[in-house]
Amino acid sequence: MKIAALYIDARVADRPDAQRICRRLGVPAKTVADADEVYADVAAAEDPIGSGKQVLFLTRNKGAFLKECPGTRHYTCCGYRILHIGSYCTMDCSYCILQAYFHPPVLQYYVNHEDMANELERCLSEPDIHRIGTGEFTDSLIWEPWTDLSRTLAQRFARQDRAVLELKTKTVNIDGLLDVAHGRKTILAWSLNTEQVIRSEERGTASLDARLRAAARGAHAGYPIAFHFDPVVIGEGCEEDYRQVVERLFAAVPPERIVWISLGAFRFMPDLKPVVQRRFPDSRIVYGEFIAGLDGKARYFKPLRMKVLRSLAQAILGHAPQTCVYLCMEDDEVWRHALGFTPAERGGLARMLDEAAVRHCGLNAGSCRR
Amino acid sequence: MSGFRRVDACRRLGWEAVPARVLEAPATMYACALKSVGENSLERPLNLIETSRALRLLDRHAPGGTPPPEDASALGLPTHAGLTARLKTLCRMPEEVQAAVLDETLSFAMACEIGQLEEGPAVAFARLFRRLKTGLNKQREIVTLVSEIACRDGIDSTAVLSEPEMIRVQDAEDLDRSQKTQSIRRLVRRRRFPVLTAAEDHFHALRRRLKLGANLQLAPPRDFEGTRYTLTLSFERLEEVERLRAQLDALVRHPDFKALLTGKGRGFAGTTDP
Repeated sequence: MKIAALYIDARVADRPDAQRICRRLGVPAKTVADADEVYADVAAAEDPIGSGKQVLFLTRNKGAFLKECPGTRHYTCCGYRILHIGSYCTMDCSYCILQAYFHPPVLQYYVNHEDMANELERCLSEPDIHRIGTGEFTDSLIWEPWTDLSRTLAQRFARQDRAVLELKTKTVNIDGLLDVAHGRKTILAWSLNTEQVIRSEERGTASLDARLRAAARGAHAGYPIAFHFDPVVIGEGCEEDYRQVVERLFAAVPPERIVWISLGAFRFMPDLKPVVQRRFPDSRIVYGEFIAGLDGKARYFKPLRMKVLRSLAQAILGHAPQTCVYLCMEDDEVWRHALGFTPAERGGLARMLDEAAVRHCGLNAGSCRR
Repeated sequence: MSGFRRVDACRRLGWEAVPARVLEAPATMYACALKSVGENSLERPLNLIETSRALRLLDRHAPGGTPPPEDASALGLPTHAGLTARLKTLCRMPEEVQAAVLDETLSFAMACEIGQLEEGPAVAFARLFRRLKTGLNKQREIVTLVSEIACRDGIDSTAVLSEPEMIRVQDAEDLDRSQKTQSIRRLVRRRRFPVLTAAEDHFHALRRRLKLGANLQLAPPRDFEGTRYTLTLSFERLEEVERLRAQLDALVRHPDFKALLTGKGRGFAGTTDP
């Protein structure tokens, strides 16, 4: 979706980043003293969730830029750290939890980058390995047409050896990154899904082919690459459909360039269901066999998850037995069935991922967690 | 303005004249509507459909399209905006839905929900609930599951309710209303969650083969999501505990018990009763 309205928090209006974005966007800007004014405008729309995707609010992040991944104790979390550069998304995936996460959801981009840089410096000076990503509350690369943030971050990460930056996307906006001296400390990652799911559920995203072509270009530019099959949508014929995606993935990117591949079955907070039913009446995604998970989220019935995740994992490992394949938010029972081991048997999921980062990104192994 | 049914009765009695009071001009249509509603509402409580019609009548003639709340209140009509908005939809619903509301087989809340559906499914649900005479929660469960099956399969809810097995249960002469309700709930749940219900069936078949008896109960984790099963032992005397201990020893060695604990990945399949 195109940005139709631009609001600027009066407290950041004179910042160079804000002014640069204004120039690049070419949309008349309105300066506001209070975020409530923006929220009120969005909330007044007939479809605030859709409207919020076309309203960009440049403001400052008043909280922490680095946050822990919001995992729950019932399922194994990857221990990823989120760099909170902004929130919400211009693309319109039916299953996107951000629709129900913010009230109302507004595309926000934080321009107090010196605060971000200070926080990041503190993190990068720690002895532990960190895996940091910008793609949790937004798509990492939707901001590329108007900002240079990913480029700046990739350059900064290149000058250290304790952390990797993962840029997770459904776009192909990598042109501004190809000539960066990234030192393999930035991982370009794509969410992948079947043609059918992309067509029916992921509006405004790049096609599967385009994503894989972009991944191949990223790999050619020396970037470590990652893929996320998340959400895996379970339905008739899905195992074969996912196997075909795996074939195409490895036809585009050689296994040795892939740092990790995650698999996560579709799960959602109950509040999302009425949103999907209202905004996407043709979508069938919420009518799978869902039960209430231990964390309160709706999850596919466990034997279904076990079967499909195992099939997908086997397809991937058939091509790339050395690649780190992991499950997002699953318990040991599913791990054992799908992958044949539990994270604890390999030192924990965080350690598995740290070690993959060490191998592929040239991190200092001395700081790998034990 | 009012008394149409009384006039009709008089006609049928063959009367040629009745006393009538004529409103003095100028009487606005809104004033007529107020008197018309008051004629009934001040005499007896209106049912939901009458209330719906009364609210609509006032709306139609009120200056500006909305009657002042004090007018509705004086006539004994509800004034809460949310409630009146929902009430006003009732008299526009299909006849069968209105009839179900009037004979109280369909609650107001449920009528509002199925009133949002297309006419065909709304009538089909109303017809079903008039036959089953079941409570709100069960009605809501059936509507939700049937609607979701319809959305998932790209068919109409009416088609789901008309499937042969559904019709067979509705027409079964050997089942009472409560049994029909139970059977229909089971059928729609099975249609909505085929893998889950099949796994439950397999699990129960395996558990039956363990012949646990009345003093030993085995419960799976809820929806098989967790990993911990629960064994409950009930006893009163020491000898019963001795027997349970022997039973537990046998259970640990029973191949079906192992299949129960390890068969989740295949939905406990391949383990049906011999």
